[in-house]
Amino acid sequence: MTCGEAGPLLHARLDNELDMAGTASIDLHLSDCRACAGQYAALESLHQEITVADLAYTPGIALERKLAARFLQEEKSPSRFWSGSWLNVSVITAAAIAVVVAIVAIPTLRTSRETDAVAAEILDNHLRALQAVHQVDVPSSDQHTVKPWFQGKTDFSPPVPDLTKENFILIGGRLEVIHQQPVAAIVYRRRQHVIDLYVSPSAGADSKTELRELGGYHLLRWTQNNLNYWAVSDVDPSDLRTFADLIRGR
Amino acid sequence: MDTKVRIFELTMWPHMRAAYNLARWLVRNDHDAEDIVQESFLKAYKAQESFRGSEAKTWMLSIVRNTAMDFLRRYKSSTTMTLDEPGYEPQDDSPDPERVLLAESRRDQVREAISHLEPEFREAIVLREIEGLSYKEIAAVLNIPMGTVMSRLSRARNLLLMELGGSKEVQHDLR
Repeated sequence: MTCGEAGPLLHARLDNELDMAGTASIDLHLSDCRACAGQYAALESLHQEITVADLAYTPGIALERKLAARFLQEEKSPSRFWSGSWLNVSVITAAAIAVVVAIVAIPTLRTSRETDAVAAEILDNHLRALQAVHQVDVPSSDQHTVKPWFQGKTDFSPPVPDLTKENFILIGGRLEVIHQQPVAAIVYRRRQHVIDLYVSPSAGADSKTELRELGGYHLLRWTQNNLNYWAVSDVDPSDLRTFADLIRGR
Repeated sequence: MDTKVRIFELTMWPHMRAAYNLARWLVRNDHDAEDIVQESFLKAYKAQESFRGSEAKTWMLSIVRNTAMDFLRRYKSSTTMTLDEPGYEPQDDSPDPERVLLAESRRDQVREAISHLEPEFREAIVLREIEGLSYKEIAAVLNIPMGTVMSRLSRARNLLLMELGGSKEVQHDLR
């Protein structure tokens, strides 16, 4: 492979868009060519910088209101889609999504066991936290601030690893009560997506990760070293697995 | 509850943040970005029957992108005709390496550098690095082949690297 051929492939490699053969051939070139390896390192650090900088703009609550108002105007000349009550429209807020998710989720839960009830409670908590102005009681990207914060508030010590290198950015932590139990919620961010990691004491044996889906969200549950873990987010399930593996590996 | 309304809420509303983010990066001010998102949601709502089988997020983002690009084109043509017209003042979009270098924090530098990329490079970077879309998804949003996605990202990142890490001389040579 020439450097000219490698050029664009460096980006595909960085973006995980290459198949195994492509990855292998570019890696071979990188091990041979100092110039391309340097370029690749620069691209990686640029990627890292953009991720850490958290450059997404978030819309204000005013936009949600304006959207509702706009659709309300549409209601004056009712289209056949919009023929329902405009009340439906005015509640297209994140809250409505949570409610709808709950509506979707509840019937499937009837038939299920306690774990499912906990899963629903976890998701509910996650969604409520997403809508809240502050998602954390202790906002910090420093694990040495977040971890000690739980001391005295919980009788267990949740792990709070620094996963910045792996593109999971620590946002902070908060204390929750799930199923009548105090639970440490550690909050990470993967790009736009918030991942809540709920940790509580467990008497059970270590278990493998167990993935479930509720209303488009994914929850991963496992038990390790007398702690029960739930990771919940709308990230890609493979990202959630990577996240869980990183937590489990520590 | 009207099923169609609910389906629209469920499929499109979750992408409001991404829609706003893309619009905000493309038009570079909050007010216009809000207008773009409102217009896009309206278009999406009216066209929801044509939404079939594709992914809701890329579908929504492509509407936002086209709406924003139309807006930019309209604005551009109106400014070339009436250069002296006072009033509407968008963000300065002249390339200004000084500004990037003078920005207070590294975070601001990165933001400035992306903000001053040409729209076609800016949107590729925003969709890939900030929204985390795959090449396939970006190709769908921008309606371009995947190879073009890769070459745009490649060009955009090289420009960013030069802006953020390179010397002034290098930047002048390239402009």
